[in-house]
Order: sequence, then C-alpha cells, then structure tokens
Amino acid sequence: MNPSSAFRAVAVAVFAALAAPVAQAQAADSIVIGASLPLSGPLAGFGAYQKWGYETAVNEVNRAGGLAVGGKKYTIKLVLRDDKTDPNVVASNTETLISRDGALAMLGSCTPALVNAGALVAERRKVPLVAGCDPLGAFKSVRKWQYAWAIFFEEGDLGSAPFRMMADYGLQTNKKIAVFHDNGPDGQVVGGQIWPAEAKKGGYTITTASSFPVDTQQFGAMIGQAKGAGAEIVLADAIPPQAITMRKQMAAAGYTPKLLVMEKGAEPEQFAQALGKLANGVLVGGYWDPSFPYPGAAELGKRFEAEAKQTQSQHIADSFTAAQVLFDAIAAAGALDREKINAAIGKTDKSYVVGPVKFDAEHASRIPITMVQWQGGKAVVVWPKERANGKLVFPLPAGN
Amino acid sequence: MPGLELVASGLVGGLLLGGMLALIALGLSIALGVMRLVNLAHGELLVGGAYLGYFLTQATGIDPFAGLGVVAVAMAVIALPLHRLLVAPLAGQGMEAPMMTMFGVSIVLQNLYLLAFRADTRAIDTPYAGRPLQWGPITVPLTYLIGFVVSVVAVAAVHLLVSRTAFGRDLRAASADPVAAATLGVDVGRVHALTFSLGAACAAMGGVLVGTAFSFTPNTGATWLLVSFAVVVLGGIGNVFGTLVAGLTLGVLQSAGALVLGDGYRDLVGLVLFLLALAFRPQGIVAATAR
Repeated sequence: MNPSSAFRAVAVAVFAALAAPVAQAQAADSIVIGASLPLSGPLAGFGAYQKWGYETAVNEVNRAGGLAVGGKKYTIKLVLRDDKTDPNVVASNTETLISRDGALAMLGSCTPALVNAGALVAERRKVPLVAGCDPLGAFKSVRKWQYAWAIFFEEGDLGSAPFRMMADYGLQTNKKIAVFHDNGPDGQVVGGQIWPAEAKKGGYTITTASSFPVDTQQFGAMIGQAKGAGAEIVLADAIPPQAITMRKQMAAAGYTPKLLVMEKGAEPEQFAQALGKLANGVLVGGYWDPSFPYPGAAELGKRFEAEAKQTQSQHIADSFTAAQVLFDAIAAAGALDREKINAAIGKTDKSYVVGPVKFDAEHASRIPITMVQWQGGKAVVVWPKERANGKLVFPLPAGN
Repeated sequence: MPGLELVASGLVGGLLLGGMLALIALGLSIALGVMRLVNLAHGELLVGGAYLGYFLTQATGIDPFAGLGVVAVAMAVIALPLHRLLVAPLAGQGMEAPMMTMFGVSIVLQNLYLLAFRADTRAIDTPYAGRPLQWGPITVPLTYLIGFVVSVVAVAAVHLLVSRTAFGRDLRAASADPVAAATLGVDVGRVHALTFSLGAACAAMGGVLVGTAFSFTPNTGATWLLVSFAVVVLGGIGNVFGTLVAGLTLGVLQSAGALVLGDGYRDLVGLVLFLLALAFRPQGIVAATAR
C-alpha cells in the first residue's frame, strides 16, 4: 500500500491502543471521594487520626464488595491531599480534588480555618462535603450552607463544660480564673467570649485574659501574671505545640493551679507523650470514647490501637462517622448525582460510632461534650458522671 | 502595673533566655562572618540537633546536656559532606547562589524530618524540665539557667577557638581577605569546610537547648532562623562576643516587651530592634574585637 495510507493505518492502530485503557478505567466502576487533610504542619496529629478514620471506612466498604448505588457496586477510591495546616492550600487542594481528581463528593479537613476554607470551595462548585472536626458555631457563622455538612460539638457546650463539671462535683477553688487563648477563630470564640460569659454566670472572676498568636513560643509574662494574681483555675485554648510548651513553662515558673483545662492542645496523645508526668491531671473537652454505648465504638478503638500501635483518639470516631454518613447518603441517593446525594445527607437520621447523627436546618449535627483527663498516659472520661470511666484527679498534681 | 516579682522574674528569665539565643544564633554568625554564607538552612540544622538530642536521650537515657558534645560532633560530621557537595562548588560565585542552595536544603531537610519522624511535636524530657528555680522574689525555669550556663561556656569556647588557636587565626585571615590568606598558605577551602561544620555544630547544640526548654516539630526551624538573624545583625556579623551581648540584650528587651505588651509581642519587639539596628547601626551594637 502507499505510504500515506500505511501511515493512516498505523495512526488508527495507535489511537485504538491508547483508547482501550481509557475504556478499561471507566469500566472499573469506582467513585472518587476527595479529602484535604493536615498531614504535616502543627495539626498533623489530628490529620493522622482523620486519615485513619477515612481510610478505615473506605476499606470496610470496599472489602464488603463495594458501595451499592442504584443496583451497581462501586469501589470507593479515596484521594487524600496534604494541606500542611494551611487554609490556602486546603482551598487549592479542594479545587484540584474536584476538577482534576474527579471527586464526586468531599470529606473535610480539621479545625475551622481549614474545614471552612475547603467547604467554601466545595459550596461554590456545588459538591457535597461532610466534615467532622469543625466546632458548629464556627461552621455555622461562615454562611448558610447548601452543600457542606458538619458533625461535631457546639463551642457553647465545650466552653460551659468545665463550669458544669466544677458545679457537679462541688470542686473547692478561690473562683479566680486565668484565661490563655490563641487568636485563631475558635480560640477567640471559646477563650474570648464563651469562657468570660460562663465565668460571669457562675460567679467566677477572670483575673487575667491573655491572647497570643497561634505559633507563640514564650508564655512567661502571662504565666507570671496569672501566678501573681493567684488564679486557682487556668483555662487555656491553644494547639498542641503551644499547649505542651505552656504546661512546661507553667511548671518551670512554679505555678500549679488547682484546675487546668487545655482545649485543643491537650487532646492528642502526643501531648501526653511529650510531657510525661506533667500531663497528669490536665483536662480537655472530649466528645467520644470507646466505652460509649454507640454501635461499634469499642471495636473501633481496639482496631485503631491494634493497627496504628498508638492510643486511640476521639478523632477516629468523627472522621469514620463522617465518611460513613457520606457513603450511606450516596447509597440512599441511588445515583452518582451530587444533588441527590446532598439531599440524602440532609435526611440522615441514624446512630453511628460517634453517636446519633441528624442534621438541623443549618446543616449541623451536634455531639454532646464530656471532660477527659490525662492520667498516667491514658485519657480518662471524668464527666458527666454517667459517662465517666474513671475518677477525677483534683487538684492538679505538680508533676515535678 | 505588674508587681516586682513578675518584673524581676521576667527580666532575669529574659537574660537567661538571651544567653541561649546567643548560642542558637552563633552558627549563623560564624558562617556569615567567615564564609559570607547566608545559611538559610540554619533553622533546620538546629532542629536536626534537637532530633539528635531527642533520640540520643531516648536510646541511652543520658541527660541531653551531658550528651551535647556527642550531638555537636555528630552534626559537624554530617555537615562536612553537605558543604563539600553543595557549598564548596559555588565558592567565589557570589553570595546569592549558596544562599539559594541553602534555601533548597532547608526545604529538603524539613520534608526529610517529616518523612522520617512524622510531624508530632516533640520535647526532650528531663527530670528537671518543669522545675522552677526560686531565688528570693525571682522564679525562673531551672532549664533556662542550665541552658544559659551551657551557652556561655560554648560561646566562650568558640571565642577562644577563634582568637587563640592556629585554626582560629586561619579562620580570621580567610574571613578578612581570602585571596591574601591563600597566598600566605592558608587552605581557605578547608577553613570554610571546617567553619561550616562548626556553625552546624553550634546550631545543633542550640537545637538541644530548644528541645529541652521548649518543643519542636519539623517546621520549627523558621522561627529560630528569624531570631538568629536579629541577634547576628545586632551583635555584628562574625563577632562571637558580640553575638553573646546581642543575645542577652535581645532576651531582656523581648521579656520587657512581653511584660508591657503581652507575650504575643515578643517577636515584634525583636524584629523592630532588628530593623532599627539595620537602619542606624548595621555594623552591630558591639565594636568588633580583633577579627
């Protein structure tokens, strides 16, 4: 045959060969679920737990043969991107996950700055996004959401918990409080508004209220002031690196209040690991423990500890639940249609590992708060009494 | 108005912290002074030292300050091939190329730490980590006093090395005029390599201090790099004694700023001083001694 028709034949053959794999991929029947997580940066501790929660939920569905949607089975492909604890990166990751990775729906990052940044992008692109790890006040205050959904606790419950606990147990203090909070969005809400309001209600005096940039390394002046004012209660809101440094510097300044609450920062295991004995007695608000009477709670905790070889964290529960809620909604929608999936999420009304999930008109599902205390490297639920699995240690041990 | 106890403790604590800042910044000062190298990976070398100290203490149980020499030598040894491969080939090509190279090294190291050690916040635990030292109305962290003593000894040792030994003489000659020094028989390349190692060793020791007194993650280096620049500029580039004075000054002034404005403003105080020094006395607040 002549050269040009030979060339054409070869070209057709090449294109056919290239097209075949593409057709293959479409026939594999998978759903892409995207998530941007802080896998590095100061919040990497939380990101690691969430990654496990999301991956475990995905693996469970895939091992059972896939997600049944409208009579067909689909493998779930979870695509994770590291946002380095930077809201700008969350936004660009979310955009990439939706436009380039082909995500059908999204799962959220952690903490308001990151989750809300991603949710705004998903909202604009009309992609459903389910998130744990986003205090509901901070979530709802951004805008009236159409496509973003949050399962977490209310800051008001968190802020009032130490006060309710002190009242319930009748703890004796001089009712003087020192508040240390970072100037991030939830630090300002909890430390700047809720705690002062609760203190006033309960007849407490706030002797010092100090705020600081999220990445501060030195707390000498504010610790000195609190010590000088004789505050027996310290309420702090800071992320883990800062909480660790703060606790050390308090001890090194010879300041041991009777009650020390460190929101956010004292939550992950690395807090207790970095501080050793100094972590004993530190309180932090919690919302889940494997001992809670919810379906699969105990098993999830055991599974995490066996696989990750670390102590369990409550973040495995809200992330695992967020993923399950999303998958159940996709199945209930009966089609890979974002509008239908979004509507199905709104109709969720079921008990999951983290507790009962039902969204209100503002797309928020509330989890009740408990108080957890570090005792010998273990996180013990100490309040409310009906959920407690250990005894409250009061006052705070000096640790040095 | 804060009470006497608070002010006195704050200022003394600031002085002790300042001593530590001097050691933390010393490596940067030496590299800049002798090799004209703006070591943008200084913070990561510091964090590397913190990790070395952390794992050494975990593995052997020895006190981090006792193991300081081991960490310093280890980092010095690691730094030599780093210099050979990345910095030496760029000798004589101006300041920008090595600076950008070190910037790249900084990013690579941060991610290596992340891969190897995860992003968890770590702290070197010691029995005295949370212990206060009380002296009349003054309360300071015991770790700060120990860190201060270690820093002053280390800075003094480096000062003696630079001013009294043969290597120090070669170092000063190579820094003043590398061409003339070379013609007089000084192996400038070797001097630079050893200087880089010395700078890295000092940064590593500073890292152990940071790890013991505070906490660290793979990304903590950047904060300390900024502070180090402020100290180096205040003290006069390459001036070892000046670095000590500048560190102490900065420590006290930062603490004073914190007492008046709040802890969140420490960095502001430091960086404003940095700008003022650059504007009005770029050669540093301390007159250069025999260099």
